[in-house]
Amino acid sequence: MMRDETTAAAIRACAASRHLPDAHTEKWLAMDTPSRMGLLDIAERLKLRTGQLVAAIDLLDEIEIREGVSSSAILLRDEIQRACRLAGSGPWRAAAFLDALRAIRFPRLKLALDRLSSEVAMLRLPAGVRVELPKDLGSDELVIRVSARTASELENLIDALAAKKAGLVRIAKLIGGEDDAA
Amino acid sequence: MKFDLDAIYIEDACRDTTLAKRVIARAAMIAPVSFVADGRVTARPAVGLADSFAAGKRRMVIMHRRSPFLMACPAGSAKFACCGYLVLTLASNCPMDCSYCFLQEYVADNPGFQVYANYEDAFAEIDKLSATAPARHFRIGTGELADSLAMDSVTGLSIDLVNFFSAREKLTLEFKTKTHEIENLLTLDPRGRVLVSWTLSPRRVFEACEHRTASPSERIAAARRVLDAGYRVAFHLDPIIAYPDAEHDYVELMEELFSTIAPAKISFLSMGGLRMTPGLRAAARRRFPKDAMLVGEDVLAEDGRYRTFATMRIRLYKILADKFKTAGAEIPSYLCMENSSVHERVFGAPALHPATAGERLATR
Repeated sequence: MMRDETTAAAIRACAASRHLPDAHTEKWLAMDTPSRMGLLDIAERLKLRTGQLVAAIDLLDEIEIREGVSSSAILLRDEIQRACRLAGSGPWRAAAFLDALRAIRFPRLKLALDRLSSEVAMLRLPAGVRVELPKDLGSDELVIRVSARTASELENLIDALAAKKAGLVRIAKLIGGEDDAA
Repeated sequence: MKFDLDAIYIEDACRDTTLAKRVIARAAMIAPVSFVADGRVTARPAVGLADSFAAGKRRMVIMHRRSPFLMACPAGSAKFACCGYLVLTLASNCPMDCSYCFLQEYVADNPGFQVYANYEDAFAEIDKLSATAPARHFRIGTGELADSLAMDSVTGLSIDLVNFFSAREKLTLEFKTKTHEIENLLTLDPRGRVLVSWTLSPRRVFEACEHRTASPSERIAAARRVLDAGYRVAFHLDPIIAYPDAEHDYVELMEELFSTIAPAKISFLSMGGLRMTPGLRAAARRRFPKDAMLVGEDVLAEDGRYRTFATMRIRLYKILADKFKTAGAEIPSYLCMENSSVHERVFGAPALHPATAGERLATR
């Protein structure tokens, strides 16, 4: 196991190579030893870029406060370890790692988005119709985009939308917190 | 409730004002008094301190207000379905220290706890407004940039305010507070024209975030006392923080409230979700780094503020709105800083025009 000063030096080197903002380097160094080593290991294995490392440090800090657990415990969770071991490219795994962290940080948001996405998928809308949920459910606005190149295509898409009216209305209600939207 | 002060500064030009004399008479028990040429300079952040905002709260500055006292609510916007509230700025900053408070950003550049000695000029502004629309009712509050009653045992401002408003039929004064500092109020006759409102939060939020405030139970008990003394009462569930057990805790809070104060006696209830600009969030997190209530499932909303994501926030509003409806009497309610679509989702009807909403809330 690396000694503390060796870990600190390795963290500073990693931070410097990525031009990590000082405040985030300090936050990283302020973690307990298992936590900062855990993050260092992941940062190097997944080759996290600057923005990703900043996000990871912020997310870990906030999850620590919300749940009262250390970052090392968070990083050892199954969903994080699975994301880090996924088959695929480094960038793919890095993105999966951050998605897993965000899911821990925003559990009810993830549940809500998964449910809404599933409702959208079940509509089986034709290509040319896209349902856009508000980003991070930051608003209650549902956007439906219709793209057509010909009049007949447009007519068909409008008819398809009309046929899915009940399902779309249900999604609009679910966005507004109605649990049992009919 | 007694709040500690490090010092009291009085502008030279305000030495002989009623307020200054009152404060000096009571100052021996509070803090040393000094005189300064310009209170605006004294109100600026002290240099070299880790937390100049907190230090400002302990530095009372009695000074002349150089801009109008009466204004539209600073939270108002064409984007929101507003309640028509007007604000009287008689003081700026607050001796309490709630971790979510917007003042951490809003008065960061002049954090000294200012109290304006020329407050009687405000009365002229109010009379002028009233004269422009003599048939209208206005609700005017003093609790936007400061707690309305926190320092009332020192300043005695409530006495002048109640005397002014109680003589004016078309005006309602709203004191908004997180204290149980009501002793002056109990000596006065508001003649139905004064309303005292309390911000209420569940115990868990109070313990985590609302430093140096009265407890929720103390606030409710104080409300009962002022209600019995002839004042109208109202409550603001603001900010509503959507932590994991929030639904249960807020409903329980309402049950405690309704068991002490009959719903028919509550003038109105407002709700507003936790909302922080990025600047406020950064300041709050810097000052309260371990406060879990500040790291909820808040996302960047369309107005640029961090808010609980819409689905969860609206759901919580609806649960509470239903609680109000089933309380046994109709309690007028409104949302603060939400757009009309959210209002419609929660209450099942479009929001009223601010002037109409204001009129109705002023006469409840």
